[in-house]
Amino acid sequence: MSPAAITVLIVLAFGVMLVRRRSHATLLVAVQALLLGVAALALAGNRPTEFLIAAAILLVRAVALPALLVFTRRRTPEPYLVVPATTVTVRLVVAALVALIAVAAIPPLGLGDQPAEHGAVALLSLGIAIVVMRRPAILQVLGILVAENGIYLLAITVPGGLPFIIELGVLFDLVLVVTVAAAFTQKIHGEVGSGDTDLLRGLRD
Amino acid sequence: MTDAAPLIVAVLAVPLGAAVLVILMPTAGAADRLNLATSALTAALTLVLAVMALTAAPDVASRGSWYVLDTAAGIFLALVAVVGFASAVMSPFYLRHSGRSWFTARRSHAWYYAAFNFFWAALVALPLTNNLALAWLLIEATTAASALLVAFSGKRSALEAGWKYVVLTTLGLAIALLGIVVLFVAADGGGSGLDRLDWQTLARHATGLPHEATLVAFVLILVGLASKIGWAPVHNWLPDAHSEAPPPVSAMLSAALLPTVLLIAWRTELALEPALGSSAVQELFIGFGLASLLIAVPFLWRPLPWKRLLAYSSLEHMGILALGIGIGTPLAIAGVIVHVAGHGLAKALGFYTAIPLLRQDPSTAERAPRGVARTSAPTATAMSVSLLTLSGLPPSPLFVSEVMILLGGMDAGLIAVSSIVAVLLALGFLGLAHALLEGLLRDGRRARRPTRSAAAIGLLAGAAALALLGLTAAAYALPDSDIVEALIGSGA
Repeated sequence: MSPAAITVLIVLAFGVMLVRRRSHATLLVAVQALLLGVAALALAGNRPTEFLIAAAILLVRAVALPALLVFTRRRTPEPYLVVPATTVTVRLVVAALVALIAVAAIPPLGLGDQPAEHGAVALLSLGIAIVVMRRPAILQVLGILVAENGIYLLAITVPGGLPFIIELGVLFDLVLVVTVAAAFTQKIHGEVGSGDTDLLRGLRD
Repeated sequence: MTDAAPLIVAVLAVPLGAAVLVILMPTAGAADRLNLATSALTAALTLVLAVMALTAAPDVASRGSWYVLDTAAGIFLALVAVVGFASAVMSPFYLRHSGRSWFTARRSHAWYYAAFNFFWAALVALPLTNNLALAWLLIEATTAASALLVAFSGKRSALEAGWKYVVLTTLGLAIALLGIVVLFVAADGGGSGLDRLDWQTLARHATGLPHEATLVAFVLILVGLASKIGWAPVHNWLPDAHSEAPPPVSAMLSAALLPTVLLIAWRTELALEPALGSSAVQELFIGFGLASLLIAVPFLWRPLPWKRLLAYSSLEHMGILALGIGIGTPLAIAGVIVHVAGHGLAKALGFYTAIPLLRQDPSTAERAPRGVARTSAPTATAMSVSLLTLSGLPPSPLFVSEVMILLGGMDAGLIAVSSIVAVLLALGFLGLAHALLEGLLRDGRRARRPTRSAAAIGLLAGAAALALLGLTAAAYALPDSDIVEALIGSGA
């Protein structure tokens, strides 16, 4: 993937950190997955098996999973937007610092494509930062997807690609986990009347 | 070498088939009966595999393109079979009085058993896996199945625990996956596809792997797996999930899941050690071990609810296992084996004890138990067997295993580490002994009549006590056995 495209992926991840509406964040992650999927299709070229697998992954990551989250959002209407725990500026600065420190701290990964390596590490760390800093359950699921998109960026950069069984296995597990997380989101909303995970803070020692 | 593939397929097919069939059961009672029958079959077949593996030690009993039936697999299969079956037996006692749940009352048993069997199937498959990437996929699959079980009660606190578990372990495993991709690239001379990440292939080519990339990959994999094993400082989900899950599921999580994921970390370490050097690997494991003990021990002194106390004890014991693997001498490895088995039995018994305990006094879900000796003699007996074993009081097998690990540390020249660990273990022992005395003797009133679950836990406590004493006796023969030789020599 070109450095410009990787930059767009990172900007989209920053967007998930900043936006208030769950629908906007879902759209940003879907676009991120779409970009990655198109890149994977381009890299697969005219090898039919690779092309088919890349297409399946694109459909699931960019269409099916966002659609599941849209469905979940509609089933869990919020009476008002969840107030973020921190201001936009704080989230922006923290996200930038987390991504920069992670990129600087992790030595070369050996793929021979430094922009992709840095992009993957930045997306993974931004995904973790989103989970930590965003309160709505769906935004935390989107944080997981951003982190997984970072790993997918690295996976499509691997010379010769990863074995199909790993790619499809990871996809299957991702669908499983996001489905379970979506079920949790609905159950949490049913229990506390909101998808705000800050309302779940009863377990402390 | 025999071909174990058909038996392995059968072992996995039974719980997976049961997971589907149980949903079709018309009543809760029918679901209970079907699950008991299929669980007995799963456990029996799994134990056959375990016996095949252990009797072949130090050789590998069977190896295929996607599985390995070696000594390490045998030990962990035996553990998963025993804990899984005991959890299946104890589940009806929990479900009968569980009250509200995530699912409707009519379907709650069926969905519970469906998730339980998926979870168990993944746990059985994990020790048999011959490949790091396949192991990762199975570990991630355990998250999905067991998260639903953690939140089974549907209570707010259970949802919080389940949510934390899903999110934190998934992120941790994402980090591990990054490490696996890096390792796949680094190992490009060792095979063309998936087999590049087989334990055997990695070990065979380890000396030729680039040091820096392999070290980065290993650190990422270990940090990621640590979040699932529950090592400090990435253990935040563990006390919540263990305390909120149904007791039979808590037993599966603590006694089977955590050590089985640890086996994957151990296999990875043994395969990559020639590329990494033993000191780097040793430092990482010992670091996680010390951190886990340091975090866990203060909580063992606090008046916590029973299951939460057991959860922090799990953190302590996973730390001890990390130390044993990090030290890595034959004596320490013998200690690790005894510790895995002893901890599994004692911890599972402890969690099952929560069933009659909560039935007799539901307030113990929120506070430390009191006066159980007056309330129920079988429950008090089970609490005593469990906690005295976990505290490491002689003749507990955990006393023997902890001494083995400490002596192994001394042998390896890790005097300071061993001394710190000895002090922490002594403090942990005192904390648990104090918790037990308070729980048994303080206040309490006589129960109106014994419950069926209390009678069952009394029987289970007797069986567990005998098994634990047998393990203690066997522990003394272990350091010079073929089992330890196999674990040291062939890469777990």
